[in-house]
Amino acid sequence: MTTTTPQKLRILDAVAKLEAYHAIQNLMGRTIVALNFRQPQRVLQAFALDRDDVSFEYADEGRFVGEEAVRALVHLLVGEPALPGEMRDHQLTTPIIEVAKDGLSARAVWWVPGAAARIGDDDEPEALWDWGAIGADIVLEGEQWLIHHLHFFRYILCHYDEGWTEDTSLINRPNIPMHPLSQPTTYHNPYSPLSVRDGIPAAPRPYDTADGSTWMLSRDKAE
Amino acid sequence: MPMTMDDLDGLTTEELDALEARLERLRSMWEIANLRGQAAIFHDDQHIGEPRRELHAINHPSVDAEALYAFRSKPVVDNLEGNSLVHPLATPIIEVDESNSRARAVWWSLGVEGLSKFREEPMAIISLGMVPGTHIRTEEGWRILSGAWQRTTKNEYHAGWVRSMVPTNTRPPLTPEEDRNWLGKYAYRADGVRLPVPAPPTPDTWVRYPDECDDSWLMADLDE
Repeated sequence: MTTTTPQKLRILDAVAKLEAYHAIQNLMGRTIVALNFRQPQRVLQAFALDRDDVSFEYADEGRFVGEEAVRALVHLLVGEPALPGEMRDHQLTTPIIEVAKDGLSARAVWWVPGAAARIGDDDEPEALWDWGAIGADIVLEGEQWLIHHLHFFRYILCHYDEGWTEDTSLINRPNIPMHPLSQPTTYHNPYSPLSVRDGIPAAPRPYDTADGSTWMLSRDKAE
Repeated sequence: MPMTMDDLDGLTTEELDALEARLERLRSMWEIANLRGQAAIFHDDQHIGEPRRELHAINHPSVDAEALYAFRSKPVVDNLEGNSLVHPLATPIIEVDESNSRARAVWWSLGVEGLSKFREEPMAIISLGMVPGTHIRTEEGWRILSGAWQRTTKNEYHAGWVRSMVPTNTRPPLTPEEDRNWLGKYAYRADGVRLPVPAPPTPDTWVRYPDECDDSWLMADLDE
């Protein structure tokens, strides 16, 4: 009995999918490291900037859609040289990666514990806890996996000394003007003693082909 | 549908060879992650002199096995109770070369420690850092060629990482300068700008740095 061509394709597709899981983990690893090290060009290299709807949403800073807007957000986050005493140390854990049946895209979630230091009002660095989660749509362009949509969901940002149940002062951005290229935030529900947790971003489920990012905000836990 | 022997019989020899090579490289990535996971467990379990399986490539010409054994045999605390070094491995970035015999990798870690040098009440420590390294495949499997812990923070729990930096515990103790020149070389400093070390390995790392003993890939981003 000989193997039919569809059987060969299934085997090769399975190997390609396994390679994709690994390539996507490496891609997001390099991206989070570039954010930690304030390397804006490295961050931008990870995005599919030639796609009109490429997007990056960060906590409650808004949703940035299109190359110009994504570049603006990356500049806002890590475009300036680091100051002495500053630190961002986000790490990727709990990977949930689903490659589409057509092999051309993937959906992924990581939980992101983190530590940070920022320069306070007295010009001295202060230690912060900075935790969140990442939801991402990844696309295959040629042989390279790139970020199509990225959303950092903030969980906590608090002063280290007080902890997340006492210090809720940083969970929302101050009431300063939104960036002119930002669109309204789609979801921001950090921990506070009065907030109720949602399972957001939702775990990606097996799917056939890319059709947007609504899966990240899905409350359907039964499907 | 499960794969059968008949499925594989239908592949040409060339297709089968290519498929096997791709699968072996994928398996190596898991084996390297498992190897570093074992090393993390051994790092926490500090019993000196107990027989334990070797994780390092001690037969590689670049490895000074005698120095490695001597380092392991030195106690740095009077007692083990109260002491712990838990450095979970996160953010894995692993690049295996085309020959499936060498791999470079970096993990980041958010860990916790307990330190009691002389049976005093242990100090709780928060320990951020990275595990960069090179790995080679030997007859016994994947082994660590080089690379250990690179500290970002090692702070007394209550003080936090801005106000506290506990030096690596050695006997005799390190001076702050010695500590900064060793595991703390790229550690957080309240008065300094963080340097981008270690650089994560890129997909072309083995083209750019073909020698497995060349660790300059770790500092590749310092020039930018």
